[in-house]
Amino acid sequence: MNRWMQPSASVRVAAQVATWAVALLMAAPFAWMVSTSLKSDAEAIGRDLNWIPAGPASEWQWGNYAAAWEQADLGRFYLNSVIVALVVTAVSLVHNALAGFAFAKLRFRGRSALFLVLLATMMLPFQVYFIFAYVICDVLGYIDTLHALIVPFLASAFGIFYMRQSIQSVPESVIEAGRIDGFTDFEVFWHIVLPSVRPALGALAIFTFMWSWNNFFWPLIVIDSGERYTLPLGVAALASGLFVQSWPVQMAAATIITVPTILVFLLFQRWFVAGLALTGVKG
Amino acid sequence: MSAGNSNRAWWFIAFPLAIVFLFTALPTVVGIGLSFFEWGAATEARSIGFENYRALLQDDQQFWRALRNTLIFAVATVPVTLLLAFLFASAVNAPWFRGRTVVRTLFFVPTVVSIVAVGFIWQWILDPQAGVLNHLLQSIGVDRMFGRDLPQWTGESAWSLAAVSFIQVWRTLGFSLVLYLAALSSVPRSLYDAASVDGAGSWQSLWRIAWPSVWPMTIFLITTGTIAALQVFDLVWIMTGGAERRWMDVLNVHLYREFSNNRMGYAAAIGVIVLLLTAIVTLAQLRWMLSRGEVRL
Repeated sequence: MNRWMQPSASVRVAAQVATWAVALLMAAPFAWMVSTSLKSDAEAIGRDLNWIPAGPASEWQWGNYAAAWEQADLGRFYLNSVIVALVVTAVSLVHNALAGFAFAKLRFRGRSALFLVLLATMMLPFQVYFIFAYVICDVLGYIDTLHALIVPFLASAFGIFYMRQSIQSVPESVIEAGRIDGFTDFEVFWHIVLPSVRPALGALAIFTFMWSWNNFFWPLIVIDSGERYTLPLGVAALASGLFVQSWPVQMAAATIITVPTILVFLLFQRWFVAGLALTGVKG
Repeated sequence: MSAGNSNRAWWFIAFPLAIVFLFTALPTVVGIGLSFFEWGAATEARSIGFENYRALLQDDQQFWRALRNTLIFAVATVPVTLLLAFLFASAVNAPWFRGRTVVRTLFFVPTVVSIVAVGFIWQWILDPQAGVLNHLLQSIGVDRMFGRDLPQWTGESAWSLAAVSFIQVWRTLGFSLVLYLAALSSVPRSLYDAASVDGAGSWQSLWRIAWPSVWPMTIFLITTGTIAALQVFDLVWIMTGGAERRWMDVLNVHLYREFSNNRMGYAAAIGVIVLLLTAIVTLAQLRWMLSRGEVRL
């Protein structure tokens, strides 16, 4: 063992303690959110720093969750968010994989040129294209419908690029073997390529889902009616005092919106982290 | 492969490319063109040349304030995030570190949480009257120490920019940390061994071996972090409640206000300026990668 691996015991303890302390601080705001969500208004704005709400658990203000759920119609926002995120994730995954396969393994006229255009598209900031994307959605009659939150995201330059990078690493010999067996291009894609890039598909699915679930700017622009709000819009409306003005109820709403993303992340953490590392290295 | 692929490939790419073209590429081209027009919902579009840009740069005080806030935000967040992420990643990556998975998860959680929830939580924590931060500061006597009232963290002061920058560091630190972990784990041990033989201590190895080895990742994180900072919208919008708190406007908030006021051409011009700033950062990265021979044109 060299010195890098074995610094002195005091250095190790200090680094260990400092890192753990900051890690706990990172999560502390969420603990405070949950804690506040179970307090009464009076206790919440009081000066006592109670991590655990006063009294036995049966006396905590569980009703805050019901209040948040009903007053802001969170159930409907939830449904809208789930529909949008699931459709976008499922369909865009298929589209991006199909196009990624074509760019990685098929030859066709204009492939390089199209791929360059795609790469350039990836760099574009949303702010320069959302205005006319809005106009196009308007022409198509999508404004203030869930279509506007779904159709523009059924494929993405980043997704195609990501799948192309992954599919390129599938050995040519495996694909040739499939062709000799008489597979069509699509059968090669479906039976040979897709199974071998499952981790990349998983990572892209999680990115897409999270991104769609958390998207705020675009829904803010294209959705007007409260009944078509996604969860972020609905919760933001809560914050602006449209529905209620109570910190514990607002923290209950924040908890409701936070829990699914944290659960998805914890469940798929390995894919998530592996996928991230891939983006960074190849990006 | 046979030339017959030519037609069949289009079945694979037609629909995905149509989506990207219709909702990204085409709107960008039109958006750039739009910046040379005066156009609102009720009026005919009228070509006015560079007038939008002239008005932005010469007459629009709010634009300059937004640009200044955006640049301060970028400078205040990116280097701090990188440095902290590198240091913590180095500790977590060391073989003697206990509880690696849990710590990594704790760091990463703020990254995946909806920006709306993030804004909510921090508004509550930073609330000047009832918020826990000011309560804590008062209980340890910070207000008496400075002989003045504690700041309105999200109000009209320089503190609001500091608060928003702090929250940005908090919510992006985990992302950089995970990427640094991936980069650090691929640094060959023989490099450390060689340094150790040369008598370098662990602190010196950290800066002489680990830091240069992960430099490509640092460049990647500087680029993506700076672009994210230049394009920040959600965090600022939510933290300031979207109200008329123009003091805290960044470029994209300014753009959104103009868009909401039906000044499409003017908003498009701001979008083009964001695009130019993004392009500068991207080209700088590309240039660096070319000089290192990491990509070839």
